[in-house]
Amino acid sequence: MPGPLLEVRDLKTQFSTPEGVVKAVDGVSFELHAGETLGIVGESGCGKSVTALSIMRLVPRPGRIVGGQVLFEGRDLAKLSNAQMQEIRGESIAMIFQDPMTSLNPVFRVGWQVSEPLLLHRSMPQAKALQGGTIMLGRVGIPSPETRARDFPHHFSGGMRQRAMIAMGLTTTPPVLIADEPTTALDVTIQAQILDLLRNANREFGTATILITHNLGVVAGMCERVMVMYAGRIVESGLTTDVFAHPKHPYTWSLLRSIPRLDAERHEPLKPIEGMPPDLIAPPPGCAFHPRCPFKVERCSRDVPALNRVGDQLAACWVTQSGVELKDA
Amino acid sequence: MITPLPVDAPAVPAPLVPGRPARGYWKEATGRLRRNRIGVTSGLVLLFFVVVAVTSPLLAAVFTQADPRHIDLLNTFLPPFSPHHILGTDDLGRDELTRMLYGAQVSMGIGFLSVGVALTIGAGVGLLAGYYGGLLDGLLMRFVDIILAVPAIFLFILMSILFKPNTITLALIIASVGWGSIARLVRGEVLSVRTRDFMIATRALGASDARLILRHLLPNVLHVLIVFGSLYLGQVVLIEAALDFLGLGISPATPSWGNMLTNSETFFFHSSWLVIWPGVTIFVTVLAANLFGNAIRDAFDPRLR
Repeated sequence: MPGPLLEVRDLKTQFSTPEGVVKAVDGVSFELHAGETLGIVGESGCGKSVTALSIMRLVPRPGRIVGGQVLFEGRDLAKLSNAQMQEIRGESIAMIFQDPMTSLNPVFRVGWQVSEPLLLHRSMPQAKALQGGTIMLGRVGIPSPETRARDFPHHFSGGMRQRAMIAMGLTTTPPVLIADEPTTALDVTIQAQILDLLRNANREFGTATILITHNLGVVAGMCERVMVMYAGRIVESGLTTDVFAHPKHPYTWSLLRSIPRLDAERHEPLKPIEGMPPDLIAPPPGCAFHPRCPFKVERCSRDVPALNRVGDQLAACWVTQSGVELKDA
Repeated sequence: MITPLPVDAPAVPAPLVPGRPARGYWKEATGRLRRNRIGVTSGLVLLFFVVVAVTSPLLAAVFTQADPRHIDLLNTFLPPFSPHHILGTDDLGRDELTRMLYGAQVSMGIGFLSVGVALTIGAGVGLLAGYYGGLLDGLLMRFVDIILAVPAIFLFILMSILFKPNTITLALIIASVGWGSIARLVRGEVLSVRTRDFMIATRALGASDARLILRHLLPNVLHVLIVFGSLYLGQVVLIEAALDFLGLGISPATPSWGNMLTNSETFFFHSSWLVIWPGVTIFVTVLAANLFGNAIRDAFDPRLR
């Protein structure tokens, strides 16, 4: 098996705020292989998006990458000059954002925007780039692309804008596509179409995709592998089937029990996770999840668990690492 | 070569009307402007003065056959509608209409030059300060604060003493204060546009800072520049006339509307037309510029729709 396309090692990104240092990403490591789809799940504020922005080196102020490495095809992105990084962005790693309503520039025609990566990276003449962009619009399912390419973003519906965003990301057929909650702002039927589109892009262009979402259903349908993040760390990672069938971290276990299931008993109540997400300026000592954890033992509030093999996957939990099964009390 | 992606979206038949015209922001804005009668009228008035300014030697040759500096001491204070002097003559017997025509050159020349310079500098500073923020923003904006904190008239007086004003230096002197407010306005607009998602999305495509500022940010703040520019034109005409009137503007021999007022104030009761012609013209120009500016703002500012 060839080396990973993208490798993140011990990534740490912090925001210096007047209230203190927010450790948004605190030691995240993972690999992405060519052509695979990796899901990153977790609740709001757990560091999913900041991880993605850190890979792109687009962390907004006052955020800063304070440690770790991001290796793309073996090259450390942190060591590249700004100009070299601009070459990587859009050409090698593209990113799709959450809100299609605001992610297109309102004063430019859609076709022009979709063809911009070609202008930036392929130094094509404008007319040829526009042609490429228009073809791409057609391939993401925009009807009569020649006509719609002349439209402005406000003539497009939300779903069409997200298609245009995806077209923009794919015009250069980058090896890596990061989709940051691409369906969150869309209604359910459009969500399914957009996910199909991403799946097809993955199949046809061999684009390795990092899919960031808080929707477990999306991950189950899309991703071979999944990482669960909590408080800036990866708490569990493995094949999606393993993680969903036999969660080895109490957070994953609780998450899965908090969503409705088709095969559940009638009137069986959903079980929310008690408590609040942790304060990232002063996270709880030890395992960040222990104040909300129904399985916690004494050690959990003392030592930070490392991500180790438990069963078929990796989990950062003292309880399961000691061989305890997660079961209803 | 290219097969369409199999997408589950229902295949939509091609529209029966080919090439439906997309009405963009600019088209909609100019359409709104065209429907505003006061706006169109004041725009035409401004255009009229611009045409007069550009063609003043020609107009003078055709209509008055007089030199604006030609002194004729036998024909001083001729009232309007005298033969050969439709608007009369001044205290030195110079033809008023000819001087008014040439005065348009000064007012419009200084007006547009000042607006151009102030917009360029102001937009540049505002874009840089707003985009980069931080220390650069602090330095540039404090500098703007300092300029705007000093009463403008003192700066004009000071610079008029330092530099002997001609059309170009006077335009630069006026612009050297005016760019501050533009920079502030543009910076404010940039701050709100900069945080919008498309800016970071475009950076994620690999666009450079220069491209982001010039190709993506500037078009989004252009409406601010257009609106402010047209309102500022009226101000510049007024400032220029005021400086001329105070003797700090363009040299007194040059025919300009302000200079014509300066000379005539002593003759107000004796020959009131010497005050009325330049006074009314300045008034009409400034009013037209302000009304046109308002019309443009109504047409371009999305918040007023």
